[in-house]
Amino acid sequence: MKKTRKLQEFIALPGLGQLVLSGVRPLIGILLGLLTGAGLIALTGVDPMDAYAALLEGSIGSPQSIANVLVRASPLLLGGVGVAIGIKAGVWNIGTEGYMYAGAIGATAVGIIPLPVPPIVHIVLAILAGMLLAAVWGLGPAYLRAYRGVNEVVTTIMMNYVAIFFTSWLVHEPQPMAEPGSFFPMSKILAPTAKLPILISGTSLHPGFIIGILACILFFLAIRFTPFGFRTRMLGANPEAARYAGVNVKRYIVFALVIGALMGGVAGATEVMGLKNRLFMDFVAGVGYESVAVALLAGGNPLGVIASALFFSALKAGGATMSIQTGVGAPMTIVIEALCVLFVIAVGYGERKRLERVDKAKKEGEEVKKYVS
Amino acid sequence: MVINDEVALRMEGITKRFPGVLANDRINLDCRKGEVLGLLGENGAGKTTLMNILYGLHQPDNGQIFIDGVPASIETPAKAIQLGIGMVHQHFKLVEALTAVENVILGMPSQRPPFLDLDPARVRLLNLCEDYGLYVDPSTEVWRMPVGQQQWLEILKALYRDAKLLVLDEPSAVLTPAEGEQLFKAIRKLSQEGRSVIFISHKLGEVLEITDRITVIRDGHVVGTIPTKEATQHELARMMVGRPVMMDRKSRPTMAEKEPVLIMENVSAKDDRGILALKNFNLTVHSGEIVGVAGVDGNGQRELAECIVGLRKRTGGSIRIQGHNVDRVIDDPSFVGYVPEDRHKTGLFLDLTVAENMVIKDYSRPPFMKRGLLQYNAIRKHARKLIKDYNIRTSSEEVEVRHLSGGNQQKIVVARELNAEPVLDVTSQATRGLDLGAVEGVHDTLLSERNRGAAVLFISTELQEVMSLSDRIIVLFRGEIMGVVEGEGADVFTIGKMMLGHASEVAA
Repeated sequence: MKKTRKLQEFIALPGLGQLVLSGVRPLIGILLGLLTGAGLIALTGVDPMDAYAALLEGSIGSPQSIANVLVRASPLLLGGVGVAIGIKAGVWNIGTEGYMYAGAIGATAVGIIPLPVPPIVHIVLAILAGMLLAAVWGLGPAYLRAYRGVNEVVTTIMMNYVAIFFTSWLVHEPQPMAEPGSFFPMSKILAPTAKLPILISGTSLHPGFIIGILACILFFLAIRFTPFGFRTRMLGANPEAARYAGVNVKRYIVFALVIGALMGGVAGATEVMGLKNRLFMDFVAGVGYESVAVALLAGGNPLGVIASALFFSALKAGGATMSIQTGVGAPMTIVIEALCVLFVIAVGYGERKRLERVDKAKKEGEEVKKYVS
Repeated sequence: MVINDEVALRMEGITKRFPGVLANDRINLDCRKGEVLGLLGENGAGKTTLMNILYGLHQPDNGQIFIDGVPASIETPAKAIQLGIGMVHQHFKLVEALTAVENVILGMPSQRPPFLDLDPARVRLLNLCEDYGLYVDPSTEVWRMPVGQQQWLEILKALYRDAKLLVLDEPSAVLTPAEGEQLFKAIRKLSQEGRSVIFISHKLGEVLEITDRITVIRDGHVVGTIPTKEATQHELARMMVGRPVMMDRKSRPTMAEKEPVLIMENVSAKDDRGILALKNFNLTVHSGEIVGVAGVDGNGQRELAECIVGLRKRTGGSIRIQGHNVDRVIDDPSFVGYVPEDRHKTGLFLDLTVAENMVIKDYSRPPFMKRGLLQYNAIRKHARKLIKDYNIRTSSEEVEVRHLSGGNQQKIVVARELNAEPVLDVTSQATRGLDLGAVEGVHDTLLSERNRGAAVLFISTELQEVMSLSDRIIVLFRGEIMGVVEGEGADVFTIGKMMLGHASEVAA
């Protein structure tokens, strides 16, 4: 009895207790996801330990593979933190795929023009152009959600398709952006001044992941310590009460969705400028949707996005090695990702139910005490 | 009327306890075949709980229900329907996107699965419309129907399932007088066919007109059942409100200077459905004065409070607070403190901490914000002070509000709203759902607010506390002031009658 109380007090303590708990919950979910994944791998006749060893080797076994993980993590970090802000504000921003395309279009449009400016200027201009176009992309669904009550999940997904096929149209001849005479529809190549630098030669490591991690930290601080963040959290916790507390609810819904769009835009821009050098259809096939899973796994916490984006990209990067060494197909990594997200959500739900029961028992105990004494 | 002595429904010793509340206390009730039984009681008297038990939405802790003399255990609404019980809730349970006939057959097995048999249903529905004079268009979607027709549809839905016992919860609340007449005709027809009707209402006149017998409930138990012929409005009001208890009136000093703080002139406002809920409302509240607003729930209390604090747009009139013409004042805690009627929905963020909930309006003012950043040390210190001042029981200011008991949650709202010593306090159902100790605490706080010189508007459906606390009492009825009474020496029956809409009789 006393022990449980101690534990509860510890949990109720600010800081450490909560941090441990909030970190432990996703970890349990991920563990369960990996265990179930192991079961599935075993069903294919492969020793799960071998498969996971290969996975680990492929993700952190060498500097090259680590660089590979970080390259893959870059768009997930940027896209994921944008979705996470939405979750904090209580909106589901599923449009990241589209924002990435829009951002890439903007960045490419500026990037393919040979400008007589230093690289840093050209890079910043290209990224800003990407953000601008992505913001425009997000503004429609944001306006409809905030002022017309149209479900943002539907509109953002629809806008994704528009962005993807708009891209396809842009990179086909005779559009001015398209590479003339290429056998695969793609844009012209970026001007050298618009390319992001490679950090380690021999790898494709570009600074996108640094921007992503900085963005995660920045948004974590903003959510926690600024009035903007407080209003966002109020909105997510209880929109009606937020209105009563003086938050301009509609405007903040727009903010939350457009921030997601901006971050998605940066993700798309850096992907083109750091890795692909050209724009083409399917240049980030599914990464935008994966960002949603990243944010979910992180429970909407921007710092958690760092961990979950790295975890996802490690799975992806290691999946290739696992496939080569053990014959377990790379799609298995997607199955494992999905299992982890599902288990994290399930664990969170179970935890909430348990807390509710504890509270109820506690409150009833107070009632009884009143009558007895 | 074809009342015979055959009993259609008997409820015996029904007891239902919710955490902290005894909602139904050994209730006995019976309804004969072909009888219209009035069920009368104030809000929170336990009528709805009793009817929910009858309809299988709640299980009684004790007691037995007999249908046609046979013991019945009603675990689900499906079972209730099967037993011939039909319920028309006060808030309609219709699917707005579906048509009338689709709503009617919803939940019933089809005659030729997997297809719907809409056509025979349509014919039967039209026949029912004809029989009872309650007309709806079977192929109109519910959202396109006027409220009155939705009411008809609810009744027809129950009759389509051949309900032998129909429960109507406040059926006339949304009807025009002409529609009310239609409803009464239909009820008489039902009774002639030998069906029983339980008619729940606040309106004494209606109950006296349509029912055969009346059962009055107060505080979860039956006060009495009388034949309507022998009942008078005065007698019923007495039964509903209770014995003339000696009101435990709070003693208070006389305030020297009284200045008008809140002045409302000809204010009108609509409710969420767009129906006029406040009509040319005039009210002045002075400093050092508690004005109690009595009235049955849903007579414009919510709209009144929200208009004053600026959460609801008024459709006409003017509101001035200390001479200022203000549209939105709740953002300034030193001006107006507002305790909203539903603390979970509007007053609190259950997933944020106690400390954060204490500053939801001041967070961007120093000392809580400096250089654009929230100062959690200052916020926590502020919270610790309020926790101490208002005696809030929580293990720490960093606990999420969700984990606190209802009384302590309400104390957070009260502490936050009144701590900055606003010139006007508006409280709406500030003590709802609280235990006695917590209620006492809120009352004492409001009284000291008054003594400090604040103007207090105390809106409550609990007549008892309005009378104990107010310097002046206004009675709201359908968005209008039915009467104004001095708090000192106020008579509970006078107010009780005004609450039911009888201004003229009081004067007589």
